[in-house]
Amino acid sequence: MSSEFILEMEHITKMYGPNPVLKDVSLRIRPGEIHALLGENGAGKSTLMNVLFGMPVIHSTGGFEGSVSLNGVPVAIQSPMDAMAKGIGMVHQEFMLIPGFSITDNIKLNREITTSWWLSRLLRRAGRDLEFLDRESMAEDARQALDAVGIGIDEYALVAGLPVGHMQFIEIAREIDKTGMKLLVFDEPTAVLTESEAAQLLKVMREIAAKGIAIIFITHRLDEVMAAADSITILRDGQLVKTLATADTDINELAGLMIGRGDESVIQVERRREPVQGGTAMSIRNLWVDMPGENDKGITIDVREGEILGIGGLAGQGKIGIPNGIMGLYDAAGEVTLFGEPLKLNDAKGALQRGLAFVSEDRRGVGLLLDESIADNIAFSAMQAHGQFMKGPLKDSGGIRRYAQEMIRELDIRCTSPAQPVGTLSGGNQQKVCVARALALNPKFLFIAEPTRGIDIGAKQLVLETLVRLNREQGMTIVMVSSELQELRSICDRIAIVAEGKVADILSPEDSDTAFGLAMSGYSGQGGEAQ
Amino acid sequence: MSGFEKEREAGKGIRALLKRPYSVRKAVGAAVMVLALQLLIAAVMGYSVRGTESVTADLKELRSAAVVHVASEGLVDMMVREAQAARRKDLRDNGYEGRKFREMGSNEVDAIIAEAGDEARGKAVILYGSPNVPAEARPALDAAIQELETRLAAYGELRSAERKTFSGLYVSLVDSVPSWSELTAAAGEDDEALFAALCKVEPGLAKAENAQFRGGFLTLARDMAQKEADRRESEMKTQLLAEIDGAISEWAELQEETDDGLWEILCREIPELADNDRYRADAIARVRSNIETVLAGKEVAVADSSATEGNTPVSETQADYRYFTASDELKRLEKEKDDAHSALWDRLTDIVPSLKEIKSKDRDGIMENVDKVLYPGDLSFTSRYQSYTADVGEQDIGTLTWFAGGAENILLLGLALLLLGAMLFWWDTLTPRFGVPRIIIMLFFLYLILAAQFFNISIPLMMGNVLERMVMYGILALAMMPGIQCGIGLNMGMTIGCIAGLLGVVLSLQFDMTGAGGLFFAVMSGVLIAVPLGWAYSILLNRMKGNEMTISTYVGFSFVSLMCIGWMLLPFTNPKIIWLLSGQGLRVTHSLLGSYGHLLDKMLSFEIFGMKIPTGGLLFMGLCCLLMWLFSRTRVGIAMTAAGSNPRFAEASGINVNRMRSLGTILSTVFAAVGIVIYSQSFGYAQLYTAPRQLGFIAASAILIGGASVRKARVGHVLLGVFLFEGVLVFGQQIANSAVAGGGLSEVMRIMISNGIILYALTQTGGGRHE
Repeated sequence: MSSEFILEMEHITKMYGPNPVLKDVSLRIRPGEIHALLGENGAGKSTLMNVLFGMPVIHSTGGFEGSVSLNGVPVAIQSPMDAMAKGIGMVHQEFMLIPGFSITDNIKLNREITTSWWLSRLLRRAGRDLEFLDRESMAEDARQALDAVGIGIDEYALVAGLPVGHMQFIEIAREIDKTGMKLLVFDEPTAVLTESEAAQLLKVMREIAAKGIAIIFITHRLDEVMAAADSITILRDGQLVKTLATADTDINELAGLMIGRGDESVIQVERRREPVQGGTAMSIRNLWVDMPGENDKGITIDVREGEILGIGGLAGQGKIGIPNGIMGLYDAAGEVTLFGEPLKLNDAKGALQRGLAFVSEDRRGVGLLLDESIADNIAFSAMQAHGQFMKGPLKDSGGIRRYAQEMIRELDIRCTSPAQPVGTLSGGNQQKVCVARALALNPKFLFIAEPTRGIDIGAKQLVLETLVRLNREQGMTIVMVSSELQELRSICDRIAIVAEGKVADILSPEDSDTAFGLAMSGYSGQGGEAQ
Repeated sequence: MSGFEKEREAGKGIRALLKRPYSVRKAVGAAVMVLALQLLIAAVMGYSVRGTESVTADLKELRSAAVVHVASEGLVDMMVREAQAARRKDLRDNGYEGRKFREMGSNEVDAIIAEAGDEARGKAVILYGSPNVPAEARPALDAAIQELETRLAAYGELRSAERKTFSGLYVSLVDSVPSWSELTAAAGEDDEALFAALCKVEPGLAKAENAQFRGGFLTLARDMAQKEADRRESEMKTQLLAEIDGAISEWAELQEETDDGLWEILCREIPELADNDRYRADAIARVRSNIETVLAGKEVAVADSSATEGNTPVSETQADYRYFTASDELKRLEKEKDDAHSALWDRLTDIVPSLKEIKSKDRDGIMENVDKVLYPGDLSFTSRYQSYTADVGEQDIGTLTWFAGGAENILLLGLALLLLGAMLFWWDTLTPRFGVPRIIIMLFFLYLILAAQFFNISIPLMMGNVLERMVMYGILALAMMPGIQCGIGLNMGMTIGCIAGLLGVVLSLQFDMTGAGGLFFAVMSGVLIAVPLGWAYSILLNRMKGNEMTISTYVGFSFVSLMCIGWMLLPFTNPKIIWLLSGQGLRVTHSLLGSYGHLLDKMLSFEIFGMKIPTGGLLFMGLCCLLMWLFSRTRVGIAMTAAGSNPRFAEASGINVNRMRSLGTILSTVFAAVGIVIYSQSFGYAQLYTAPRQLGFIAASAILIGGASVRKARVGHVLLGVFLFEGVLVFGQQIANSAVAGGGLSEVMRIMISNGIILYALTQTGGGRHE
């Protein structure tokens, strides 16, 4: 019966429609081992875990190929409940706690210890639903679990108002309180913790593992992997790159494996012979941006005149916050100077009038008026910021139409007419409208965030080529924020990698995968030559 | 679309049908259209045979049969009545007197009597039900009927013309005279002077052709003055007597006083009473009764003297035909008509001898029914045919005549079916362009117009009403537009603006302003009041983003309630607008007929095809719509629309979203203020207190019917919406009243349509949030 491995996932392939998101991935985990699962955003980590937990999203999209075995026995996990019953638990990245309940209640939720009384005995059919809670036994259990994770907090305290670090430990306590727990998944558990809390968490993980419970540790912090994990599996683009033991590797190798050079660039752009030597277009000093999920905590960087600067990094690290903060969409603090003059922050109109333009990453939410026509969308910002496209006090419909037609031709926007509502366009054409709207502002400096998200390959090329053309022909300074390292590397002159709200490193597109991988994991100062 | 294109379209439709034989909707649509086309052909056939010899002969035969039938029907009725009277007498004579009779219960007695009537009817129908007209009597009968028909037509036309003139003069006179007592008092007993005064108010009276009405209107003026005096008198008495209750606190102390003593005390407490000693007896009786109440240990309830109703407006009433005088010409025609009646009666008694025994009262009744058969108002083929067949039934009528008579109905049915079929057939093409509810409403409106024809309702007149109501509600619906555009959704709180506008109206009344100046003043002061109110309201809305609909509905309602107190307390002093008796608080309804009621509607007004066009009102509404349209094309207007449809987008373009929302809210409130002033001038009255409460719902449903959503609205939506909404209501009300006896149905329909549309619009938006 018993096997060397507690969990074996063999040759897992998962398709969403025609697109494979997991291709022949295998994962084997021994009892009592801490196994790190590494990969960029979109590498397939979450999908693999969804398969493990039998999430409805897997079943509703046609299931998966391959097999899952627990202790050597093939199993078919139907639902998250099923997974829990089989001894698989998860510590979520977002806390699944009820704020108005006490810690005990949260830990014992749906696994309450109860005592029967006459009505519950009478109405046996209602089962345990009518029984009383045995709060003392529950609190005892909770105490034990909390002690096991090493926090000395009162088990009767309410969850609401606790520091986030504590919530993370309560989640863990809840999982280890479950009897028969064999395998625990930690999904980026240290992302919200302070350094000392993170160290404490790693200690707790090792203690749990010592009791024979296996742990899958999902993270992008390579130092934590090196410190805590026994073995490591690396995924990239849905494929298994390598499984290796921690003892046999080092941080640099991991970083390189994680990034990996793509087979080909998205587009071929002739490189500049020599680096851009223009003056400073924008200097950002200690920029803090309060954008939910994308906080920046002291960004400092200079943008040179006439260059394309790429900003990369993993999701949630703060790269998106930079343009949003400077353009006044989210509260920001710090010092920003534009062409030598200080730029007032938190003033969207002022930013536009100073010659900045921004193509937002949230196309449908921030970038477009979906019900309005292409022409009106293109003209809108220029009309509001510079008073263009006006005929006396009224809008100049003819002028707007002419300009829109010009843009439609230039950017190859596929549409029936300039009067078509943008909501009916495809994603790529919507993105082109967003670019056209920014260009209508006649900007000296363009921010563009996630320009190719959710658009097809043809549109992708056209958008990127347009950016290069604007840069080369009009000398427009462009800052492009993207999650796709490939595309940053194909058109940018320099690439800044943002990790945990700070600029981790500024790299050249030619730098090694290892350098990028390390920067994304928060190691700074590896590829200094581009600075 | 050219004929060729039409054919190609139809070909496409048929090809689509062939391609998708499974499409039940298309198949049913096509079948219905084929049926409709057949009906249309039948209708055309019916129209074309009218006037042919055989149909004319049929119609003539039907006519005499109907007249004889109506006469004999009168005979049958008489016999039934006699039998019932005999049975009733029988019951009484045979001991069902008094208690016994009562114990039986009236239902039982009625049943016995009805049974007797039914029995008699059975017998009478056998005797007189379908008398045969002997062939030799036919020519004489036909001639007599023909004669009467001609006389009736001549008399009827002149009479309705004269009555129309009279009612016009009447309404205009009654509307415009501010005080009848003053008018008659000034003239005294002198008829000449009084008539001159009346002519000054209504110059039409002085015309020579209206001389016949002179006496009638003189009597009218005196009657009105008397009524006014009576009402004042009774109001004053009620109030003075009510004041007694509050004037004295220690009733018990008055117990020993004599009548004279009491009167003296009362006159001291209430000085006005001293001038009115005709109330002495009543006042003393009141005091005595109060003393008794107190001695019996109860409290004297102090009546709220302000609760008496103000004088109710007299206008919009139908003319009172008691004051109508016929002209000599009309009298002559009436006499000729009566002669023709007698001639016909003689012919009828030849055919049905029993008619000779009938009483003269019953005879008049029978002849009245004959008149109704022969002169049904308008003389179209259908109405004649219908009035004949209604009595005779449809026996022995040629098929052609049947088609000729029913051509209109068949045509309407055919058109309605054609529309329905077309809608089913092209459903997939139509729905994305207009949306399901709009198609249904448009079809319903078309169908109502057709049905109006069916019920003999004058369509041009109704269309005139629709236009008038468009003027009334147009600007109110327009007020919804900036609210929707700026992102606060349906501004149910527009009642705030309505109240500002009403304040403007009562201010203009307070200063006795009339004419265009008064209207201008009312609009401007309404706007001035609306701006700060709208601004304060917008601050509230900006703090409650996402819940605007709830907040605005709540604020709209509660502000009306708050102002119910406000109207009572505001320091207005003009006796024309405050409660006469208590001396403070505004009345509920204020007539604008003496100031600027219907001012815009009558300006440049003209009639075309019997449709009255309220030119001035339409122009003003058009002006407001034009201003709104221009505004939505300005930089600020575009920014406001963007802030409403996507606040984050607007913010990214440097727009202050809150400021834009405030701007939209203020605009909405201002338009509501202008709208209510226009509404009041169109209506002729300004109504305060709870009257504006429902206006938000009407305006909202109108603009939604027009195609707006809670996120997007255009001027076109306002115009189309108001037209459809009011069109459906005006026609629907008339038809509902014609089809179903008793009112109330139309109101139910209004509520169903308006609330249903609002509900539909809300379901389309997912609770008022985007995506």
